[in-house]
Amino acid sequence: MKNILFSVLLLASLSAHAATPPDTTATKPADGTRPERPWYRPKHLALQTGGGLGMIAAGAGYEFGKDRLETDILLGYVPKYYAGSTLSLASLKFMYSPFRLPVGEKFQVIPITVGAYFSYTHGTINDEIKGQYSSDYYWFSTDTRYGPLLGSRVTFLAPPIAATGQPRKISVYYELGSNDLYLASYLNNRNGGLGFGQLLTLALGVKADF
Amino acid sequence: MTITTIFRRWKRLVPLAAFVGLAGCEMIEFSPNDHRVPEEFTNLTEKNLAKLAAKPLPAGDTLRFIFTGDSQQFYDEAEGLVNSVNQQPGISFLVVAGDISDFGLAREMRWVDEKLRRLKVPYVTVIGNHDLVGNGRPTYQHIFGAFDYSFVYGDTKFTMVDTNGREYNFDGSAPNMGWLRPQLNSLDGARRQVVICHVPPTNEDFDPALRDSYVQALREAPNLVFEMNGHNHSYTISQPYNDGVTYVNSDAFSERHYMVVTVWGDRQFRIKRVAF
Repeated sequence: MKNILFSVLLLASLSAHAATPPDTTATKPADGTRPERPWYRPKHLALQTGGGLGMIAAGAGYEFGKDRLETDILLGYVPKYYAGSTLSLASLKFMYSPFRLPVGEKFQVIPITVGAYFSYTHGTINDEIKGQYSSDYYWFSTDTRYGPLLGSRVTFLAPPIAATGQPRKISVYYELGSNDLYLASYLNNRNGGLGFGQLLTLALGVKADF
Repeated sequence: MTITTIFRRWKRLVPLAAFVGLAGCEMIEFSPNDHRVPEEFTNLTEKNLAKLAAKPLPAGDTLRFIFTGDSQQFYDEAEGLVNSVNQQPGISFLVVAGDISDFGLAREMRWVDEKLRRLKVPYVTVIGNHDLVGNGRPTYQHIFGAFDYSFVYGDTKFTMVDTNGREYNFDGSAPNMGWLRPQLNSLDGARRQVVICHVPPTNEDFDPALRDSYVQALREAPNLVFEMNGHNHSYTISQPYNDGVTYVNSDAFSERHYMVVTVWGDRQFRIKRVAF
């Protein structure tokens, strides 16, 4: 299962990479006076709903490789009303966005973001206690989920901060995703018992560079 | 172009937008452990019992129902089962002896219901250990309903009881003997009774502290036809305690077999195993 997931993701990212156009990002500071950012300072803040990571999930993220690679760290919350107990989720997302299409001067479209997430849920009701089950009683974890992501994004390029020349961006995004348990259910029913659409989750979110 | 023509042009997209919007809301999953589902997938036990009550069985008639269990993750098989059961004449309902889901998740319970709602007869469930994993308790409660319940159909009283002791760390709460004993002692006007649960008392997942009292309560239950359970994924009919009480274990969906169960008289029965 893990291997299939990994190879699908790898293939997706490779094929996307092969089609990467030359760098088209235009917003570089003209005079090079931009102060060095400390390495630990996140590049953007993020807020999202859904995607299995919380009714509300908020956090920060880093960007690498000419901003094509991102890592977001999110803390999510699900109220008791919807899950039977209050859930807190800690999630890590890895994303790769090979293309950036400028639309006019103020907008940018990122048509494809592929990625994966890993999440840990705290607060489930029947969480395994020591000795409750023999070691291989349930093969899956109730708290740890992982899965693939595929989404798009529209970015609004705000005027740079006058003092530092630092560019500012606000993006809205959606992500379709799934998780290991839904995918396992799908893969164990090869005669069409489950439709692929039944596995999907949707996340909607906002990112702001700062 | 006038405003009205623009409106007319875009109006055609309204249903599409509404559909995408609705589907989108449903897809915005807060957590796999959240149990938000459309209303049609809630309170299924109550709704299915109401459907059953709408087709009463005349007093004195032989009762025939389908017994199966452990639908967990077997969606391909669920389709085959439904197609086969829909060919069976003279049946009143179908029973799934627990483990509807594999991971205690709302989507799984919904997926199983989407298959089983295509049955020509209603179905009822009893909760299994897999349905209690994670936040399965409130999820099952929301989608199906009570963990312990009983109903009378025709001349038979059915008592469904949660026996998944290990999921409660053997705290003495499952089976709830305080609830079960009076249920077993009263037939509520029926002639005979059947008890259905997921984990059989012979299994190590049954609360060992309650095993003796459960077995004894069944032994003393008036006109008990048999006790039925799932969990083992294999078909057996036996009297493991040699006390005159018959225990029937269902096949899982994966075994591609179910049972056609016929009951009549005080406690007569016949069980036919059908492949699909």
